[in-house]
Amino acid sequence: MPSPINKKILKYLADLARLELSPREEERLLKDLQGILGHFEELQRLDTTEVAPMTGGTSLKNVFREDEERKNKYAGAGVEAFPEKEGGFLKTPPVFGNDDQ
Amino acid sequence: METTINSLNKMYSLRNLTIKSFHDGLVSKKFSALEITQAFFKHIKESDKRIGAYLSLNEDGALKAAERVDIAVAQDEELPILAGVPLAIKDNILIKSLPATAGSKSLENYIASYSAGVIQKLKSEKAIFLGKTNLDEFAMGSSTENSGFHITHNPHDPLRVPGGSSGGSAAAVAAHMAVAALGSDTGGSIRQPAGFCGVVGLKTTYGAVSRNGLIALASSLDQIGPITKTVEDAAMLFKAIAGHDPYDATCTETNYGEELWNPKLEQVRSLTIGLPDEYFPKGLDEEVQKAIGKVILDLESLKINFKKISLPHTNFALPCYYIILPAEVSANLARFDGIRYSRIEDKKLNTKTLRDIYMRHRGEGFGTETKRRIILGTFVLSSGYYDAYYQKAQQVRSLIKNDFEKAFNEVDVILTPVSPTSAFKIGERVSDPYSMYLSDIFTIPANLVGLPAVSIPIKETLPLSSGGGRLPIGFQLIGRHFREADILAIGQFYEKIKASSS
Repeated sequence: MPSPINKKILKYLADLARLELSPREEERLLKDLQGILGHFEELQRLDTTEVAPMTGGTSLKNVFREDEERKNKYAGAGVEAFPEKEGGFLKTPPVFGNDDQ
Repeated sequence: METTINSLNKMYSLRNLTIKSFHDGLVSKKFSALEITQAFFKHIKESDKRIGAYLSLNEDGALKAAERVDIAVAQDEELPILAGVPLAIKDNILIKSLPATAGSKSLENYIASYSAGVIQKLKSEKAIFLGKTNLDEFAMGSSTENSGFHITHNPHDPLRVPGGSSGGSAAAVAAHMAVAALGSDTGGSIRQPAGFCGVVGLKTTYGAVSRNGLIALASSLDQIGPITKTVEDAAMLFKAIAGHDPYDATCTETNYGEELWNPKLEQVRSLTIGLPDEYFPKGLDEEVQKAIGKVILDLESLKINFKKISLPHTNFALPCYYIILPAEVSANLARFDGIRYSRIEDKKLNTKTLRDIYMRHRGEGFGTETKRRIILGTFVLSSGYYDAYYQKAQQVRSLIKNDFEKAFNEVDVILTPVSPTSAFKIGERVSDPYSMYLSDIFTIPANLVGLPAVSIPIKETLPLSSGGGRLPIGFQLIGRHFREADILAIGQFYEKIKASSS
């Protein structure tokens, strides 16, 4: 069976994930991913018709809290970690640049 | 190694310090918190060059905190059990105003803006944080070789890995560079390094401990837990960090009590331990097999009942995990965009757009394993492949959960090896990612199902103080949800019989 992943798909995925890859990295990752995906074929042997997916780490039910006013003790925290900032705001380059897609 | 008699004595005392013995010594004024904290820093500065357990130290903060504890002792205040206890913290757990790199170059300059929920709880207990420990980048790995900064050596054999991803925390405790530590466990990252380093590691029940302030890897799997020298210490540290936190919606109110560290033998004897066939496959490392056999004999001497059980979907846990985990990773690590946290230095080009910054920061700042898993996760979630991979894996996760539910109708606790082998050599598995993934084969199921599980060193495998070439091997006890008390009780009685027989 041909691997579901090839160089073109890898480049597309890296772009979606916003990862710049060198040609050498591309080559290595492609080989690794093809190998790893091969191991996943095992799962197709299992019949999972009618099996409900487990979607989280627990089967506990959600509990809602009262919707009341709360003071956010972390308000403003994190601003100092911004690489670029101005007056307590996060500073970024234009979201839509000429060379953006 | 040259060591003065004075520092040998200090070493000896650090070697014997547990949370319990530290507390007793502190309140009876045998030593001060400051004295012990200073001794730890001295020992770290001498020894960590060879081990590489720490990424950064918190010397000023720790010494000040120790002074405050000593003032409380002098005023005869009643002190919590963890007061003054010098701890090591995995570097993916935030402590306000200290670095938190998660082992990634991309966060090299990041300073935490707040303290994690577990850190706030430990601060209110007056615990002391010596520093932040090494890990595989974002906790992805089983050897700590994926750290963006340096590797960590196994204290029992410097040519071998300490395990991972909490390898720094496990090595720090094993090399007496902290009394105890915190790690995080997503697929075995507390238990496997604890096993490799000959210390105790507890992966807590999903929802028992707050993850607020833990740099998220896979949110349906991650748990914080203790790495300690004794099971009793693990119980005490666990009790201190457990409980509800309004900033982690998955963390629930718990009512853990004294049974955690003060178990009764009659209660332990009423438990049945299951031995799952699938965890003792043909070809399991002979040393591991033999060591586990000894544990079973020891526990039988306590008159605990054993029963053979089956967890039929065990072999599917590894592929299931390596679909679900990367999927969650690809989403969680999207936040590291070079905009909100720190940004790596841009040597190459004058970035013009947001997109340039994202591509470059993530391309330069992330290591190979991180990229591999992000792309894998992006793939299994992408349209056309979602059903075949992600959905399928979630269904298989249900089957694995059902296996455990059935097993827990018959038994109370499940005993297995922690890892298929003892610590492997540095570099041995780096080139083949799947062989690295296989080292977590026995620890992953507990994460998929959210169960508590503890790794306990097998006494006969612990290296003698004179060396002798032995490598530690651990055994694992898996319990029902929120029944840490059962696995910790058996572990404490195991330690008691081993202490009396040696």
